[in-house]
Amino acid sequence: MLDANIRSILMQVRDEAADQGIHATLLLHHEKSHLMRIGNSSVSLNTSEDLLRLDMVVTDGRRQGSQTFLGAIADADVVRSVLAAAKEKARVASPKTYDPIPDEVDVPVSEDSQFDTDLAELDPEVKESAYREIFGKLGEEYNYSGSWSSGATEVYLLTTANRNEAYHRGTDQLFSLVLKHPASKWELTHQQTGWRAADFAAEKTTDEIGRLLPTFENSGGCKVDPGEYTVILGAGAISEIVGMAAWTGLNGRGWEEKQSWTARMKPGDMILGENISLVDDPGNPHTFMFGFDMCGRKRGIFPLIGDGELLNLMYDSGTAARYGRKPTGHDTGSPSLVMDTGFGPSDPLDAARDMGRVLYIPALHYMNLPSRSKGIFTGSSRFNAVLVEDGRIVSPIFSTRITDSFQNVLGNVSVISSIPESVNGSNTYGRRTPVAMSVPSYMIASGIKITDSADSF
Amino acid sequence: MTDAAEVKNDISQNISRISSGGAGYVDARYYMEDSSETLVLYDGDLEANDTTVQSGVGVRVLWDGAWGFAATSDPSGLRSCFDKAAQNARTASELVKAPLFMGKRDPVRGSYSTPVEVDPFTVSLQDKLTFMTRLDNELKDEFILKRIVYANFMKKSIHFQNSEGSEIQKDLSHVFGMMMAMALDCDGEMQRRSMNLYSTGDGTAGWEMMTNPELFSGHAGRIKSELVELIKAPQLEHGRRSVILLPGQGHLQVHETIGHPLELDRILGYELSYAGGSFVDLDSFGKLQYGSEKLSVSSYGGIENSPGSFGFDDDGTLELDYLLIDRGLLVNALTSRAMVNEANEKAGREVFRQSGGAARATSFYKAPIDRMTNVNILPGTDGTLEDIIASTEDGIVVDNPVSWSIGSNREHFHFGCEIAWEIKDGKRTRILRNPTYQGHTLEFYRSLSAVGDRSTWKVEQVNNCGKGEPNQVMQIGHGVPVVKFDDVITGERK
Ligand SMILES: [Zn+2]
Repeated sequence: MLDANIRSILMQVRDEAADQGIHATLLLHHEKSHLMRIGNSSVSLNTSEDLLRLDMVVTDGRRQGSQTFLGAIADADVVRSVLAAAKEKARVASPKTYDPIPDEVDVPVSEDSQFDTDLAELDPEVKESAYREIFGKLGEEYNYSGSWSSGATEVYLLTTANRNEAYHRGTDQLFSLVLKHPASKWELTHQQTGWRAADFAAEKTTDEIGRLLPTFENSGGCKVDPGEYTVILGAGAISEIVGMAAWTGLNGRGWEEKQSWTARMKPGDMILGENISLVDDPGNPHTFMFGFDMCGRKRGIFPLIGDGELLNLMYDSGTAARYGRKPTGHDTGSPSLVMDTGFGPSDPLDAARDMGRVLYIPALHYMNLPSRSKGIFTGSSRFNAVLVEDGRIVSPIFSTRITDSFQNVLGNVSVISSIPESVNGSNTYGRRTPVAMSVPSYMIASGIKITDSADSF
Repeated sequence: MTDAAEVKNDISQNISRISSGGAGYVDARYYMEDSSETLVLYDGDLEANDTTVQSGVGVRVLWDGAWGFAATSDPSGLRSCFDKAAQNARTASELVKAPLFMGKRDPVRGSYSTPVEVDPFTVSLQDKLTFMTRLDNELKDEFILKRIVYANFMKKSIHFQNSEGSEIQKDLSHVFGMMMAMALDCDGEMQRRSMNLYSTGDGTAGWEMMTNPELFSGHAGRIKSELVELIKAPQLEHGRRSVILLPGQGHLQVHETIGHPLELDRILGYELSYAGGSFVDLDSFGKLQYGSEKLSVSSYGGIENSPGSFGFDDDGTLELDYLLIDRGLLVNALTSRAMVNEANEKAGREVFRQSGGAARATSFYKAPIDRMTNVNILPGTDGTLEDIIASTEDGIVVDNPVSWSIGSNREHFHFGCEIAWEIKDGKRTRILRNPTYQGHTLEFYRSLSAVGDRSTWKVEQVNNCGKGEPNQVMQIGHGVPVVKFDDVITGERK
């Protein structure tokens, strides 16, 4: 639980600020992170981080300033000095042309339903022995790499608007393994995600990679010529495409500023295929559930696309203030995007049985957007991608590039899996911010544009 | 942290304690200061006015061929931080097939300071905002829908010590600037022109870079006038033609398809689970014709005012000046001590003579990995941009990236740019919208047919290169001349 001393220091400084008429937001972020990295079948790095960050935002009419401090909070003077720095920045700031919407913790929140002590205190030896077991089962002749990040995050939010507190505590993990053939150079991967230590099981990885190994061992791989293909997109690829479509098409700022691929549409218009529905649902346990936004707004289910129709756009506080809208509490910051499942069989190969030659691309690497206005994205296949004929895997494919639009790919989906899958989208660039999407385990779309492919693995 | 001398003394004692306990190598980086200020004017509104301050110590312990790392921002927690790093290394050493080793090195003592005329952290916020608002006003125009003026200032004071007796003090300062104007084109699609602060390679790296009209502040009028043409321009049609990259685009091409594939940790497979691998392997060095004879690429720490210059890396190695590609032939990589040792051992021969000084960590709480320094294409002998245009039959000149997507082994790529100028029979004819080009790395560099002279060479800055797990964002420089490639696939198929 939140350190009692730090909590009382923050409340004290919040009260002092309020008494002085300062409008401030105090956000404490505490992470205890561990990451084991594997390279060349060895542990290449075993690292621990225990970091405390304090963000202070001061609003002075139309002027705002913020200061972030990373370090030990030994006494109230540390917090007062961060407040003073933010206050001074706000004093000197040039005024905005609109009134910022004050942050306010709507209702007191204290949530830790996705906190697991076993994962928070996971001994790195557990990770080491799991990797050892997997190497042994899949074969010592391969080259293994991977990483296993786990940790606990605490977020504590106070504002001078009232005395409410918002507190979140959670745990999360992301395991990955890459198996590379030392001579042939093909790569297979498997990932596991969850918020409990018990969500991980070594067999899930050995089973999935073991299933694909014979195909890769017994085939030289093939190059895919440019053209239009029917493609089975796996959960990883779906989360990349849908996540980026949401980021660029469903946030209020991009829409207001006519930068998004939805800019010429409005709520009520059909923007994608009739079988595509998407919500931001912080109550969905396949995501990392975060019940309030960083401005203090309580979050519930927020529909974005229903049966292909644009229902709502997400407005963060700054965008809402700028364009005279209401902040939705949902933004692209820590989303819990959930795409509806369909009626497809659990095995995508069964679904593709009558489809002839199709590509199975489980994930996309390095996606980017040549045209945000047109919704054009590009990215390439990497691991586990194969050519399928009449529902049978016939050969791995070399790295293959898709350059297409969200509207085309998500407008021509013929089969959607009935099984939801959680895809961990967290990165560890800045502070620990667990993010996961719940998407169908696969979908099949036709007429997908393949624009290039590598000549070998 | 409290008294810096006391902390350094504590670090020395802990390094000795952990070394004498059996560690093969120990180092610590003490960030006495690590500040970053970000200011963003968005349509004139100050949307970011933020400063981040942090300090702390990161400890790295090598135990039986495996790294353990731990960090603390609490001076009272130094001893337990060293213990944690050592414990992490011991756990890691239980699963080691290819032991890492640093080799023996004499103590290195030295210091490095980025040359700065005016420390941006001494310029008042008021003065910074007045300057940025002036730029924003220059970007204003009726047809312009969005304007952005961005500034980022970084300052780090780092004390490095290791178990070999090395002690290095680094005081780094970086300035990043960007301005952008956006407008809707004739099809209702948003177009943009932008300008990033660059350097000429000489001079200082303080606030004076921002206010220098050539390097940054004098370009608002140019990008506006290019944008007004761009929004009326026709689309680039699909087809094969020559592509001339201005440094604003060329630096990212170099970054993604020369820099990243030549990071030795990536070549050795240490990035497979995240950033990816490399089509280059240890056999490639001294044999692989990476590009045409016109291609010479260096890793050079001597560019005074570039974020890729830091004096000494986080292994305590002096940052060097050496060739990566010599007249088309691949000869070296971006290297650190442990990676060089592992590569040579694996190859059974000396592929690399010494570390190139590329081990870098982004903050005290991250462990060093192989990073780019300043990865540069050396100027050539094909004259100015106008000379290169004059010798081009059918091509485009492109500038500034909109989109970049690269294959996981860096073997193929796809780039979208802000603007293209069409070249027909040696003359610029018109501006074209939505230019894209794609290719395969080796085929592309082997088609390099012209390299501009020193007058075309600019040091572009990258302040957001992502790599590693835990992920790290790094600051890098690229000195690049104007370069021309032939027979490139451009535009998108209908
Ligand atoms: Zn990069």
